Amino acid sequence: MKISANWLRDYVDHGLSIEELSDRLTMAGLEVEDVEQIGPRLDGIIVGEVLEVNPHPNADRLTLCSVNVGDGEPLSIVCGASNVAAGQKVPVATIGTILHLPSRTDDDALERIEIKKSKIRGEVSHGMICAENELGLSEDHTGIMVLDEGAIAGTSLEDYVSDKNVPLADTVIDIAITPNRPDAISHIGVARDVAAITGKELKSPSISISLDCKESTADFSVQIDAPAGCPTYAAILVKGVEIKESPVWMQQRLSAIGLRPRNNVVDITNYVMYEVGQPLHAFDFELLAGAKIIVRETSTETKFTTLDDVERELPIGTLMIADRDRDVAIAGVMGGQNSEVTADTKNVLIESAYFNPAQIRRTAKALQLQTEASYRFERGIDPTAQLRAAARAAELMAKFAGGEIDGCVNANPAPYEPRFATLRPERVSHVLGLVVPEDRIQSLLTSIGFNISSENGALKCEIPSFRPDVEREIDMIEEVARLVGYDAIPEPSRSAIPNHPVSISPQRQLREQVSNLLSSLGFKEVVTNSMLSREVAESFCDPILPGARFGGEVVDTLNPVSREMATLRPSVLPGVIRVAAHNLNRGRLSLKYFEFGNSQMRVHTEHSILENYTERECLLILSSGQHDLPGWDTSARVEDIFDLKGIAEVVLDSVHLPDVRFVPIYEASKVSTHHIDIYSGHERLGVLGQLTDSVTSAFDLRGDIFFLEVDWSSISEFSAPFLKKHYDAFSRHPVVDRDIAVTVSRSEAVGPMVKSIRDAGGELLVNVSVFDLYAGDQIDASLKSVAFAMTFAADRTLRDEEVDEEVTQIISSLEKNHGAKLRQ
Amino acid sequence: MTEVFDSLRKEIEAESLDSADAVDSFRIRYLSKKQGKITDLMKGIKDVSPGERGTYGQGVNELKTLANAKIKDAKTKLGSSASDQRDIDLSLPGRAPKMGSLHPITQTRHLINRVFESYGFTVEEGPEIEDDWHNFSALNFPADHPARDMQDTFFIEPTDLEHGGIMLRTHTSPVQIRTMKDGEPPFRIIAPGRVYRNESISYKSYCLFHQVEGLFVDEGVTMADLKQILHAFAQTIFGDDVQMRFRPSFFPFTEPSAEVDIWWNDESLPGGGRWLEILGCGMVHPNVLEAVDIDSEKYTGYAFGMGIDRIAMLRYGIDDIRILFENDERFLDQFA
Repeated sequence: MKISANWLRDYVDHGLSIEELSDRLTMAGLEVEDVEQIGPRLDGIIVGEVLEVNPHPNADRLTLCSVNVGDGEPLSIVCGASNVAAGQKVPVATIGTILHLPSRTDDDALERIEIKKSKIRGEVSHGMICAENELGLSEDHTGIMVLDEGAIAGTSLEDYVSDKNVPLADTVIDIAITPNRPDAISHIGVARDVAAITGKELKSPSISISLDCKESTADFSVQIDAPAGCPTYAAILVKGVEIKESPVWMQQRLSAIGLRPRNNVVDITNYVMYEVGQPLHAFDFELLAGAKIIVRETSTETKFTTLDDVERELPIGTLMIADRDRDVAIAGVMGGQNSEVTADTKNVLIESAYFNPAQIRRTAKALQLQTEASYRFERGIDPTAQLRAAARAAELMAKFAGGEIDGCVNANPAPYEPRFATLRPERVSHVLGLVVPEDRIQSLLTSIGFNISSENGALKCEIPSFRPDVEREIDMIEEVARLVGYDAIPEPSRSAIPNHPVSISPQRQLREQVSNLLSSLGFKEVVTNSMLSREVAESFCDPILPGARFGGEVVDTLNPVSREMATLRPSVLPGVIRVAAHNLNRGRLSLKYFEFGNSQMRVHTEHSILENYTERECLLILSSGQHDLPGWDTSARVEDIFDLKGIAEVVLDSVHLPDVRFVPIYEASKVSTHHIDIYSGHERLGVLGQLTDSVTSAFDLRGDIFFLEVDWSSISEFSAPFLKKHYDAFSRHPVVDRDIAVTVSRSEAVGPMVKSIRDAGGELLVNVSVFDLYAGDQIDASLKSVAFAMTFAADRTLRDEEVDEEVTQIISSLEKNHGAKLRQ
Repeated sequence: MTEVFDSLRKEIEAESLDSADAVDSFRIRYLSKKQGKITDLMKGIKDVSPGERGTYGQGVNELKTLANAKIKDAKTKLGSSASDQRDIDLSLPGRAPKMGSLHPITQTRHLINRVFESYGFTVEEGPEIEDDWHNFSALNFPADHPARDMQDTFFIEPTDLEHGGIMLRTHTSPVQIRTMKDGEPPFRIIAPGRVYRNESISYKSYCLFHQVEGLFVDEGVTMADLKQILHAFAQTIFGDDVQMRFRPSFFPFTEPSAEVDIWWNDESLPGGGRWLEILGCGMVHPNVLEAVDIDSEKYTGYAFGMGIDRIAMLRYGIDDIRILFENDERFLDQFA
């Protein structure tokens, strides 16, 4: 909301500088976002008469002008404009004048320049002939400004323009109006707050015409068929207007706040809206069939052409203004082309109504048409101000359009009932932590329009009709707080905190722990967009991935920013793949990333917080490229799936996830060539895989890309019981290490062999690892050799015989279950 | 006996080992198995009376240690000056493991969490997909009210359905509602998480960002307490001498509401700096407490909310929010 400082002074003589005013408004809840100086900057500018124009000896585009500035010798001035000519009267800035010229680098900024005697290409210049934009008179910078012939050389330009329609020097204050302050969307509304915070008087414009109106006049009538949508409709007929320009001062004010002046009638309706906050509409009365206004709702889908020449489709239930035969305006939003004021209009009907805020908001939303009127109606205007505003406009029309006020109707089927709320003075300090004396509370609230009486130790407050946001005690406490100023609220030197334990959820504890672990292991955490194109989202609806393992559909947004960000991610994988591609294509050789993020699917599961939606936090790890770069004594090695499998083992081990199983699946899925399902007990919690070539190439990647994605919500839930650490006494007796190597068929999987060793090894076997895998010349081509290192221990010194016995059992288990033969 | 040891010690100490040859002959003279003087002493232990053998052995060992240390010192000195004898090049680079990193948003979230946890707040989290009641209605956003325009919403199901619409949460305030609905006061929580706004993407806005909201509901909580905790917070994040101001604002779920600015020094600006908004806050609106069946007469509370991304950008001097989501390693590596 733009406020003209000149205009504001009509209603409150605040005596503040613009800086003080801006600061006080901001600190009282009307945040000043911008302050702009507008209008001409004519200090020191005088009228000059161009006597001679000669070519500049050293520059084709410059001229040497001799300019008479009244007294003394004519000045020699270098000029660069092509329109300069002898005999012209022009504005001249003489030496010592300060100009504020539009900046060449920033359209909105001005640069302060002092005119000095200077040499321009070798010729001395004693001033500057100005263009309109250099004086703030217009945006025009096509050439120097040429004045009327009657202008007198040596007189001030300020005098010259005093009777011209030029903008007035003004300051425009741009205020960010919060939705709870519809009362402040006008100059009087802002002036009311200024008066309250400065203790000065608010001066409202007086209205001299009689406000005694009836339901109808001899000339016209108003019929309200939709009283819920329109409880009040005031209309005044002004006859015999002459459509012309509005007075200069009014045009200046409207221009200052960014409105283009149109004609006197339209300007007056705008002027009154920005003055008091009541939107008005002016109909050409002759175009209203039957001299009748009907307020009603549409009952069918209707087409209507608004005065911006756009045909609009109106939904059923739109509140409309109609005459006897047809719709003439969309109530509270925009008038119709069929009844607008034109140059030929003679009689004007001024509409000043109160429309239901929610209904206007729905219409404006449905039509995607927010106007200055709908903006105010949907926030809630003063429901008692209609007649006064109409009368104010009528009076201005009578004065500036030569019209005669002919008749007045005030249809008010649902009169405004005053609203009251009770404020307990002690509650103010209870909420604010600041004691405000009762009389201070009273005077502050009175200053912004409350009527207050004491009742049983509390304050009974009549809420001003222009404050629809105020409903209950807390609303008035807020008013007191902002008028006292938040600065007045002290910071206590200590404050109590409740006696209750602070807890940390396993999900967050483990996330932070694993984030630190992964970053220590060389992985970089990334944060990616969770909105994808629908195609990408669907292509990652692969049931091997934890987010999509419950089935269901991807979750679309109804109003996406773009096609590329229309659907929520079913998996964190695609976002991280993009990061890998981004960095690979910028020369990174080793790609190791992780992200914790939510996956979203439209499916109802036991995990659903919101019915029909399942949202799981997932941990995604991606690795690809160089595992080791070549060093001075190490060689390069490319990342393979066992690197990431090892990471998976470490991560899951670090969170003490119970009963972890890795189940290899050799078939390809949508995104993975083969994969390993990760289980805890019987619950499948995630997957380790390798991207298929088609995914890899679709994302402009190359090489083998490995990924791990697990359901972090489930993992932390499963791990939670095992997070408490405790000490177990450990054996201090020596351990016994034994190695064995066996040959098995090449197709025999090693994982189950390890399990067989564990099962057969009994309690004494505490560890088993695979330390060699060989296939080649040394053994039969159908075989491979696998070597295991085993550690045995007990809470006593082990005898060789008992270990031998375990090893024998292990070997026989490997023979029986895997066809293994011990290598001697 | 001690005289023998003493004189030998002096002799050893007086030896000058200034070359590899000198070191070698020194070693032979004192320590060689056949003719070394210390070795000889060692052999002589059998002639010592059993009662004195302990002291004698100790004396020999001390001499042996002294001789060995002298050899080691001399070798070190000789090694560093004689490059041709070096068998290790310590100037070679180490085999450094690759460093990973935490994203600046995470680091900032951890920092904010830590500040408030130290003041007794518990971290709570909630879903990103929400219904109208949790995201708007319970937070005192009336239907068809312009306050809803303050947060451009991504809808998943339209608002004309019975549940009033399903949407991506526009703030983490629904976590407050869920927490209060499920428990009994007092509540002292913060809710960090991802939120969504349907805004066009530019250097200063993205379709999603991260927020931390705080809530304290108990008997006797005042706006003065709110000013205190946020001042303490701002001091931790922006320094002890941070200058801040609370100015009135509007949020449907708090009343009175405030926006908090900090003074940001910037010599290039006319006033030497400017006020920068860092968070919004206020006293929990009684309508919100009542929506979750809390006695708004007995209990009062405060709430606050801030953008993690924005705080991160201020802390690290990042001027384009999009770079946070691009994850270029040249960016990420700066936060390792």
